[in-house]
Amino acid sequence: MRSRALFAVVLVLAACAPAGETPEQAASEPAAEVAAQPAVTPFDVSSFQGTTYGEPLTLAELTPVSAILADPASYIGKPVLVQGMVVAVCEEKGCWMDIASDKEFEKIQIKVDDGVIVFPLTAKGKQALVEGVVEQLELTQEQAIAEAKRMAEEHGTPFDSTSVTGPRTIFRIKGKGAVIAD
Amino acid sequence: MASSWRRWNNILHRDLGYLCAGLTIVYAVSGLAVNHRADWNPSYAVRASTVPLQGVELPDPKAPGFAGAILAHLELEGRLRGTFRPDPETVQIFLEGSTVTVDLAARTATFEETRGRAGLRQANFLHLNEAKKLWTWMADLYAVALLVLAVTGLFVLKGRKGIAGRGAWLTAAGVAIPAVFLLLYL
Repeated sequence: MRSRALFAVVLVLAACAPAGETPEQAASEPAAEVAAQPAVTPFDVSSFQGTTYGEPLTLAELTPVSAILADPASYIGKPVLVQGMVVAVCEEKGCWMDIASDKEFEKIQIKVDDGVIVFPLTAKGKQALVEGVVEQLELTQEQAIAEAKRMAEEHGTPFDSTSVTGPRTIFRIKGKGAVIAD
Repeated sequence: MASSWRRWNNILHRDLGYLCAGLTIVYAVSGLAVNHRADWNPSYAVRASTVPLQGVELPDPKAPGFAGAILAHLELEGRLRGTFRPDPETVQIFLEGSTVTVDLAARTATFEETRGRAGLRQANFLHLNEAKKLWTWMADLYAVALLVLAVTGLFVLKGRKGIAGRGAWLTAAGVAIPAVFLLLYL
Protein backbone atom coordinates (compact mmCIF):
# COMPACT_ATOMS: atom_id res chain seq x y z
CA MET A 1 0.00 0.00 0.00
CA ARG A 2 2.77 2.40 0.99
CA SER A 3 4.72 1.55 -2.16
CA ARG A 4 1.63 2.41 -4.23
CA ALA A 5 1.39 5.76 -2.46
CA LEU A 6 5.05 6.46 -3.20
CA PHE A 7 4.53 5.62 -6.85
CA ALA A 8 1.62 8.06 -6.99
CA VAL A 9 3.74 10.82 -5.40
CA VAL A 10 6.49 10.30 -7.98
CA LEU A 11 3.95 10.54 -10.82
CA VAL A 12 2.41 13.73 -9.40
CA LEU A 13 5.88 15.30 -9.06
CA ALA A 14 6.65 14.45 -12.67
CA ALA A 15 3.38 16.02 -13.85
CA CYS A 16 3.97 19.21 -11.86
CA ALA A 17 7.27 20.05 -13.54
CA PRO A 18 7.14 23.69 -14.70
CA ALA A 19 6.88 24.49 -18.39
CA GLY A 20 9.97 25.57 -20.37
CA GLU A 21 9.91 29.19 -21.42
CA THR A 22 6.78 31.06 -20.44
CA PRO A 23 5.32 33.89 -22.54
CA GLU A 24 6.19 36.24 -19.67
CA GLN A 25 9.84 35.22 -19.85
CA ALA A 26 9.87 35.69 -23.60
CA ALA A 27 8.18 39.08 -23.36
CA SER A 28 10.57 40.29 -20.67
CA GLU A 29 13.56 39.87 -22.95
CA PRO A 30 14.84 43.15 -24.35
CA ALA A 31 13.98 43.59 -28.01
CA ALA A 32 17.12 43.63 -30.12
CA GLU A 33 17.95 46.85 -31.86
CA VAL A 34 17.15 46.90 -35.54
CA ALA A 35 20.08 47.49 -37.82
CA ALA A 36 19.81 50.87 -39.45
CA GLN A 37 20.40 49.70 -43.01
CA PRO A 38 18.58 51.14 -45.99
CA ALA A 39 17.88 47.70 -47.49
CA VAL A 40 15.50 46.53 -44.79
CA THR A 41 11.77 46.06 -45.37
CA PRO A 42 9.03 45.72 -42.74
CA PHE A 43 8.12 42.09 -42.02
CA ASP A 44 5.50 40.53 -39.79
CA VAL A 45 7.21 37.46 -38.31
CA SER A 46 3.87 36.08 -37.13
CA SER A 47 2.87 35.64 -40.76
CA PHE A 48 5.66 33.09 -41.24
CA GLN A 49 4.40 29.69 -40.13
CA GLY A 50 6.67 26.82 -39.20
CA THR A 51 8.70 25.19 -36.46
CA THR A 52 10.57 27.53 -34.13
CA TYR A 53 14.16 26.84 -33.12
CA GLY A 54 15.82 28.75 -30.30
CA GLU A 55 14.48 32.07 -29.10
CA PRO A 56 11.36 33.75 -30.48
CA LEU A 57 12.00 36.21 -33.29
CA THR A 58 11.74 39.85 -32.23
CA LEU A 59 12.84 41.92 -35.22
CA ALA A 60 10.23 43.45 -37.49
CA GLU A 61 12.39 44.33 -40.48
CA LEU A 62 13.83 41.95 -43.01
CA THR A 63 17.34 42.42 -44.38
CA PRO A 64 18.14 40.83 -47.75
CA VAL A 65 21.06 38.38 -47.52
CA SER A 66 22.52 40.05 -50.62
CA ALA A 67 22.68 43.40 -48.78
CA ILE A 68 24.68 41.80 -45.96
CA LEU A 69 27.04 40.05 -48.36
CA ALA A 70 27.48 43.21 -50.45
CA ASP A 71 28.76 45.19 -47.47
CA PRO A 72 29.33 42.79 -44.57
CA ALA A 73 31.62 45.11 -42.64
CA SER A 74 28.79 47.58 -42.00
CA TYR A 75 26.59 44.85 -40.51
CA ILE A 76 29.11 43.33 -38.07
CA GLY A 77 27.66 43.17 -34.58
CA LYS A 78 24.21 44.19 -35.72
CA PRO A 79 21.09 42.06 -35.29
CA VAL A 80 19.37 41.10 -38.53
CA LEU A 81 16.32 39.16 -39.66
CA VAL A 82 16.91 37.25 -42.89
CA GLN A 83 14.84 34.89 -45.00
CA GLY A 84 15.88 32.27 -47.52
CA MET A 85 15.84 28.65 -48.57
CA VAL A 86 17.89 26.23 -46.47
CA VAL A 87 20.51 24.83 -48.86
CA ALA A 88 22.84 22.99 -46.44
CA VAL A 89 22.71 21.75 -42.86
CA CYS A 90 25.50 20.55 -40.54
CA GLU A 91 25.32 16.77 -40.85
CA GLU A 92 27.17 16.10 -37.61
CA LYS A 93 25.40 18.22 -35.00
CA GLY A 94 22.89 20.42 -36.81
CA CYS A 95 24.89 23.38 -35.50
CA TRP A 96 24.81 25.43 -38.69
CA MET A 97 22.81 25.84 -41.84
CA ASP A 98 23.33 27.79 -45.03
CA ILE A 99 20.50 29.82 -46.44
CA ALA A 100 20.34 31.00 -50.02
CA SER A 101 20.61 34.66 -50.83
CA ASP A 102 18.06 36.54 -52.89
CA LYS A 103 20.83 36.82 -55.50
CA GLU A 104 22.32 33.98 -57.56
CA PHE A 105 25.37 32.06 -56.35
CA GLU A 106 25.19 33.53 -52.87
CA LYS A 107 24.45 32.02 -49.49
CA ILE A 108 25.16 32.82 -45.86
CA GLN A 109 25.86 30.55 -42.93
CA ILE A 110 23.78 30.60 -39.79
CA LYS A 111 25.88 29.31 -36.88
CA VAL A 112 24.39 28.36 -33.56
CA ASP A 113 25.94 27.07 -30.34
CA ASP A 114 26.28 23.29 -30.35
CA GLY A 115 23.26 21.65 -28.79
CA VAL A 116 21.46 24.92 -28.04
CA ILE A 117 19.72 24.88 -31.40
CA VAL A 118 19.78 21.75 -33.59
CA PHE A 119 18.75 22.29 -37.20
CA PRO A 120 17.29 19.14 -38.74
CA LEU A 121 18.97 17.64 -41.78
CA THR A 122 15.55 17.38 -43.39
CA ALA A 123 15.25 21.19 -43.51
CA LYS A 124 17.06 21.37 -46.85
CA GLY A 125 14.90 23.06 -49.46
CA LYS A 126 12.58 24.64 -46.91
CA GLN A 127 12.18 28.35 -46.35
CA ALA A 128 13.65 29.73 -43.13
CA LEU A 129 13.35 32.98 -41.26
CA VAL A 130 16.37 33.61 -39.03
CA GLU A 131 17.30 36.23 -36.49
CA GLY A 132 20.87 36.70 -35.35
CA VAL A 133 23.90 38.93 -35.24
CA VAL A 134 26.33 39.30 -38.13
CA GLU A 135 29.84 38.28 -37.13
CA GLN A 136 33.24 38.21 -38.73
CA LEU A 137 35.67 35.33 -38.35
CA GLU A 138 39.35 35.72 -39.14
CA LEU A 139 40.99 32.37 -39.86
CA THR A 140 44.72 31.91 -40.20
CA GLN A 141 45.82 29.72 -43.09
CA GLU A 142 46.23 26.77 -40.71
CA GLN A 143 42.75 27.31 -39.29
CA ALA A 144 41.32 27.70 -42.78
CA ILE A 145 42.92 24.41 -43.84
CA ALA A 146 41.60 22.66 -40.73
CA GLU A 147 38.11 24.06 -41.35
CA ALA A 148 38.16 23.03 -45.02
CA LYS A 149 39.34 19.55 -44.03
CA ARG A 150 36.58 19.22 -41.45
CA MET A 151 33.94 20.32 -43.95
CA ALA A 152 35.26 17.87 -46.56
CA GLU A 153 35.09 15.04 -44.02
CA GLU A 154 31.58 16.02 -43.04
CA HIS A 155 30.41 16.03 -46.65
CA GLY A 156 32.49 12.99 -47.62
CA THR A 157 34.22 14.93 -50.39
CA PRO A 158 37.92 14.85 -51.33
CA PHE A 159 40.15 17.34 -49.54
CA ASP A 160 43.05 19.20 -51.12
CA SER A 161 45.02 21.29 -48.64
CA THR A 162 46.63 23.26 -51.49
CA SER A 163 43.22 24.72 -52.33
CA VAL A 164 43.57 26.93 -49.23
CA THR A 165 46.24 29.46 -50.12
CA GLY A 166 46.05 31.94 -47.28
CA PRO A 167 44.12 33.37 -44.33
CA ARG A 168 40.37 33.56 -44.72
CA THR A 169 37.69 35.97 -43.55
CA ILE A 170 34.21 34.57 -43.01
CA PHE A 171 31.06 36.58 -42.50
CA ARG A 172 28.19 34.66 -40.99
CA ILE A 173 25.18 35.13 -38.75
CA LYS A 174 25.30 33.98 -35.15
CA GLY A 175 21.77 32.60 -34.98
CA LYS A 176 19.56 33.41 -32.01
CA GLY A 177 16.29 32.01 -33.26
CA ALA A 178 14.78 30.64 -36.44
CA VAL A 179 11.50 29.51 -37.90
CA ILE A 180 11.67 26.83 -40.56
CA ALA A 181 8.57 26.37 -42.69
CA ASP A 182 6.89 22.97 -42.27
CA MET B 1 14.04 1.86 13.30
CA ALA B 2 17.09 0.88 11.26
CA SER B 3 15.13 -1.64 9.21
CA SER B 4 12.35 0.91 8.67
CA TRP B 5 14.56 3.42 6.82
CA ARG B 6 16.06 0.61 4.76
CA ARG B 7 12.59 -0.60 3.85
CA TRP B 8 11.64 2.88 2.60
CA ASN B 9 15.00 3.15 0.85
CA ASN B 10 14.34 -0.10 -1.00
CA ILE B 11 10.79 0.85 -1.89
CA LEU B 12 12.02 4.18 -3.30
CA HIS B 13 14.82 2.42 -5.19
CA ARG B 14 12.47 -0.20 -6.62
CA ASP B 15 9.69 2.16 -7.75
CA LEU B 16 12.04 4.78 -9.17
CA GLY B 17 13.82 1.94 -10.96
CA TYR B 18 10.60 0.87 -12.62
CA LEU B 19 9.78 4.47 -13.50
CA CYS B 20 13.20 5.16 -15.00
CA ALA B 21 13.69 1.89 -16.86
CA GLY B 22 12.19 3.05 -20.16
CA LEU B 23 14.05 6.33 -20.34
CA THR B 24 17.30 4.71 -19.20
CA ILE B 25 17.10 2.31 -22.15
CA VAL B 26 16.37 5.23 -24.51
CA TYR B 27 19.32 7.24 -23.15
CA ALA B 28 21.66 4.22 -23.19
CA VAL B 29 20.87 3.29 -26.80
CA SER B 30 21.18 6.92 -27.88
CA GLY B 31 24.43 7.24 -25.91
CA LEU B 32 25.96 4.32 -27.78
CA ALA B 33 24.88 5.82 -31.10
CA VAL B 34 26.06 9.35 -30.35
CA ASN B 35 29.42 8.18 -28.91
CA HIS B 36 30.39 7.04 -32.40
CA ARG B 37 29.27 10.22 -34.13
CA ALA B 38 32.69 10.54 -35.76
CA ASP B 39 32.06 7.32 -37.69
CA TRP B 40 28.43 7.73 -38.65
CA ASN B 41 25.42 10.00 -38.46
CA PRO B 42 23.49 8.63 -35.47
CA SER B 43 20.17 10.25 -36.41
CA TYR B 44 20.02 10.16 -40.18
CA ALA B 45 20.94 7.68 -42.88
CA VAL B 46 22.28 9.50 -45.92
CA ARG B 47 22.44 7.50 -49.15
CA ALA B 48 24.13 9.01 -52.17
CA SER B 49 24.60 7.82 -55.73
CA THR B 50 25.91 9.56 -58.83
CA VAL B 51 24.67 8.93 -62.34
CA PRO B 52 26.11 10.30 -65.60
CA LEU B 53 24.05 12.68 -67.70
CA GLN B 54 26.08 12.07 -70.86
CA GLY B 55 23.94 12.24 -73.96
CA VAL B 56 21.13 13.97 -72.09
CA GLU B 57 20.07 17.31 -73.49
CA LEU B 58 20.14 19.61 -70.48
CA PRO B 59 17.90 22.66 -70.56
CA ASP B 60 19.17 26.08 -69.55
CA PRO B 61 19.71 25.84 -65.77
CA LYS B 62 17.93 29.18 -65.40
CA ALA B 63 14.84 27.86 -67.18
CA PRO B 64 11.86 26.98 -64.96
CA GLY B 65 11.67 23.51 -66.52
CA PHE B 66 15.25 22.54 -65.66
CA ALA B 67 14.45 20.75 -62.39
CA GLY B 68 11.49 18.95 -63.94
CA ALA B 69 13.60 17.74 -66.85
CA ILE B 70 16.32 16.37 -64.56
CA LEU B 71 13.80 14.69 -62.27
CA ALA B 72 12.02 13.15 -65.24
CA HIS B 73 15.31 11.82 -66.60
CA LEU B 74 16.20 10.33 -63.22
CA GLU B 75 12.64 9.03 -62.87
CA LEU B 76 12.32 10.72 -59.49
CA GLU B 77 9.03 11.70 -57.98
CA GLY B 78 8.27 13.86 -54.98
CA ARG B 79 7.34 17.38 -54.09
CA LEU B 80 9.82 19.90 -55.42
CA ARG B 81 10.80 22.29 -52.65
CA GLY B 82 13.09 24.52 -54.66
CA THR B 83 16.36 24.88 -56.51
CA PHE B 84 19.63 26.66 -55.75
CA ARG B 85 22.74 27.43 -57.76
CA PRO B 86 25.77 27.68 -55.44
CA ASP B 87 27.95 28.43 -58.47
CA PRO B 88 27.49 28.66 -62.25
CA GLU B 89 28.34 24.97 -62.73
CA THR B 90 26.10 23.49 -60.06
CA VAL B 91 22.36 23.24 -59.55
CA GLN B 92 20.85 21.78 -56.41
CA ILE B 93 17.30 20.46 -56.65
CA PHE B 94 15.57 19.97 -53.32
CA LEU B 95 12.81 17.41 -52.94
CA GLU B 96 10.99 16.19 -49.86
CA GLY B 97 13.72 14.16 -48.10
CA SER B 98 16.24 14.18 -50.93
CA THR B 99 18.54 16.42 -52.93
CA VAL B 100 19.78 16.13 -56.50
CA THR B 101 23.02 17.97 -57.23
CA VAL B 102 23.66 18.50 -60.93
CA ASP B 103 27.24 19.15 -61.97
CA LEU B 104 26.82 20.89 -65.31
CA ALA B 105 30.53 20.74 -66.15
CA ALA B 106 30.99 17.05 -65.38
CA ARG B 107 27.44 16.28 -66.59
CA THR B 108 26.56 14.18 -63.57
CA ALA B 109 23.67 14.12 -61.13
CA THR B 110 24.18 13.06 -57.52
CA PHE B 111 21.08 11.86 -55.73
CA GLU B 112 21.25 12.13 -51.95
CA GLU B 113 18.47 10.75 -49.82
CA THR B 114 18.17 11.57 -46.13
CA ARG B 115 16.07 9.40 -43.87
CA GLY B 116 15.73 9.53 -40.10
CA ARG B 117 16.95 6.29 -38.50
CA ALA B 118 13.88 4.61 -37.06
CA GLY B 119 13.99 4.69 -33.27
CA LEU B 120 17.44 6.27 -33.07
CA ARG B 121 16.32 9.61 -34.48
CA GLN B 122 13.63 9.81 -31.81
CA ALA B 123 15.95 8.56 -29.02
CA ASN B 124 18.62 11.12 -29.94
CA PHE B 125 15.97 13.84 -30.18
CA LEU B 126 15.16 13.24 -26.51
CA HIS B 127 18.66 12.42 -25.27
CA LEU B 128 20.24 15.49 -26.89
CA ASN B 129 17.30 17.60 -25.74
CA GLU B 130 16.40 18.88 -29.16
CA ALA B 131 12.84 19.10 -27.89
CA LYS B 132 13.71 21.81 -25.32
CA LYS B 133 10.63 23.35 -23.59
CA LEU B 134 8.93 21.05 -21.08
CA TRP B 135 11.24 18.18 -21.96
CA THR B 136 14.16 20.05 -20.38
CA TRP B 137 12.41 19.84 -17.01
CA MET B 138 11.44 16.23 -17.59
CA ALA B 139 15.07 15.37 -18.33
CA ASP B 140 16.18 17.26 -15.20
CA LEU B 141 13.68 15.28 -13.17
CA TYR B 142 15.01 12.08 -14.69
CA ALA B 143 18.58 13.08 -13.78
CA VAL B 144 17.53 13.73 -10.19
CA ALA B 145 15.78 10.36 -10.16
CA LEU B 146 19.01 8.70 -11.33
CA LEU B 147 20.89 10.41 -8.51
CA VAL B 148 18.36 9.09 -6.00
CA LEU B 149 18.59 5.63 -7.60
CA ALA B 150 22.39 5.67 -7.29
CA VAL B 151 22.33 6.71 -3.64
CA THR B 152 19.50 4.41 -2.55
CA GLY B 153 21.16 1.58 -4.49
CA LEU B 154 24.15 1.78 -2.18
CA PHE B 155 21.98 0.89 0.80
CA VAL B 156 19.66 -1.77 -0.60
CA LEU B 157 21.58 -4.61 1.07
CA LYS B 158 23.11 -4.80 4.49
CA GLY B 159 25.84 -7.06 5.73
CA ARG B 160 28.85 -8.46 3.86
CA LYS B 161 27.30 -7.89 0.42
CA GLY B 162 26.20 -4.36 1.28
CA ILE B 163 28.04 -1.06 1.28
CA ALA B 164 30.01 -2.13 4.36
CA GLY B 165 31.55 -5.09 2.50
CA ARG B 166 31.63 -6.14 -1.13
CA GLY B 167 29.57 -3.08 -2.09
CA ALA B 168 32.30 -0.73 -0.89
CA TRP B 169 34.88 -2.29 -3.17
CA LEU B 170 32.62 -2.23 -6.19
CA THR B 171 31.58 1.36 -5.50
CA ALA B 172 35.24 2.38 -5.15
CA ALA B 173 36.01 0.68 -8.47
CA GLY B 174 33.15 2.56 -10.11
CA VAL B 175 34.54 5.87 -8.88
CA ALA B 176 38.12 4.92 -9.79
CA ILE B 177 37.37 4.10 -13.45
CA PRO B 178 36.45 7.65 -14.53
CA ALA B 179 39.17 9.04 -12.24
CA VAL B 180 41.82 6.98 -14.05
CA PHE B 181 40.60 8.19 -17.44
CA LEU B 182 40.65 11.78 -16.21
CA LEU B 183 44.25 11.32 -15.08
CA LEU B 184 45.15 9.81 -18.45
CA TYR B 185 43.43 12.28 -20.73
CA LEU B 186 42.88 15.54 -18.89
